Amino acid sequence: MTRIPRIGIGGPVGSGKSMLIERFVPILAEKGYSVSIISNDVISKEDADRMRTNLATKKGLLPENLVIGLATGGCPHTAIREDPSMNLSVIEELESNHPDLDLIIIESGGDNITTTFSPILADYFIYIIDVAGGDKYPRKGGLGIESCDLLVINKIDLAIMVGADLKLMQRDAEINRKEKPFVFINCKTDEGVLDVAEHIIHDVLFGSLPKSTITQKV
Amino acid sequence: MSIDEIEQELGVMQLSDSFFPTGIFTTSNGLEFLFNEKKIQGTVDLIDLIRINIIQQIGPTDCVALANVMDNANNYDLKKIIEVDNLVFASKSIKEIRNASVRSGMQFIKCVSEFVKDNKILNQYKESITDNQTHGVFPVAYAIGCHSLKITKEKSMAMMLYGFTVGVIGAALRLGLIQHFESQKIIHSIKPIIGQTIREYSNKSILEMWQFAPQVDVVQMSHEKMDSKMFIT
Repeated sequence: MTRIPRIGIGGPVGSGKSMLIERFVPILAEKGYSVSIISNDVISKEDADRMRTNLATKKGLLPENLVIGLATGGCPHTAIREDPSMNLSVIEELESNHPDLDLIIIESGGDNITTTFSPILADYFIYIIDVAGGDKYPRKGGLGIESCDLLVINKIDLAIMVGADLKLMQRDAEINRKEKPFVFINCKTDEGVLDVAEHIIHDVLFGSLPKSTITQKV
Repeated sequence: MSIDEIEQELGVMQLSDSFFPTGIFTTSNGLEFLFNEKKIQGTVDLIDLIRINIIQQIGPTDCVALANVMDNANNYDLKKIIEVDNLVFASKSIKEIRNASVRSGMQFIKCVSEFVKDNKILNQYKESITDNQTHGVFPVAYAIGCHSLKITKEKSMAMMLYGFTVGVIGAALRLGLIQHFESQKIIHSIKPIIGQTIREYSNKSILEMWQFAPQVDVVQMSHEKMDSKMFIT
């Protein structure tokens, strides 16, 4: 069975995980990459339903059945770290039934700044926070902020309204994350979203061409 | 107690610990639907739900399957094990329950295979799942895993029934239906039912497998239709 590259996207409730996916998937789709999305919801299928409607039903960027909502028994952090069994099962089914996928995106809802993905589950980990949570987040650190491969700081347009100091957040992110990357974004205007897509293409897909184009050439 | 016996007991602890990764914590076995519909009120109702599940479904189906698979594993009879696997798969008429059982069973076997090497029947069964020759439902996978750690049939049945009980009680705790001291009292009160179930079903033929819990079936089907939920089942 072909192992399809996987990225995990975690972060507090309301930080913009689903919105980020809705913004970068069209960029990947435009370049020919085919993706599937697994949404680990704390409760409800709302995030999965919204992404399915916006990305599959309305825009036709992927089949509707490739946006999958997964209930986590109220333990989203367990479902992506200590016991990722159900996520792994769904991924194995995807790998078996859709070997032509270029990427699997695993979103995990939750409100814990110590969220991390099991390396068995995700090859690359994006942690997203937003400025409205306070400019202290990058300084406070925690597993999510410190260990992720890419830290995304969302809703920068709100900084002035909530009194968040972006320069302070930048300085603290540089200190806490050492050499590892972080980006400031605004999902409402797409500012910075292209940076996230490029990180995925270069750091996860290693710049490889979409499988569909390789198949066509052969 | 010999070193071998201590190791076997540690195997019992390892496989029956909720820390063992099978994803069972994502299931409530229909409890969430009953809770949302206000059809379950507290400890007494919860004990009833667990009791009915054990007496009418898990005992006569899953326990009989587990016991037969352990006997067949002793004889290295993979063909009969696959027959049991197919029967249990067919008996799980609720899609959510069936999918969860297969997913948990497969992950259970994969995890055991990480630390139990050179066990012929375990390897053959795992290969059969990977090659899509069989499903890998949880009771059968559990039996194969327990057998590979030389755990007795009766203890394996107790572990599976205990795991089910703790799974439902854990879901009840997270839903706020009961509190933590009550949860332990419920586990204690279920022990005689687990004991009776083991005594009744440890030596039944696979042809004597049955289940009849129509209300539980309806509840589990209704859970599938819920828009907003925490649990897979």
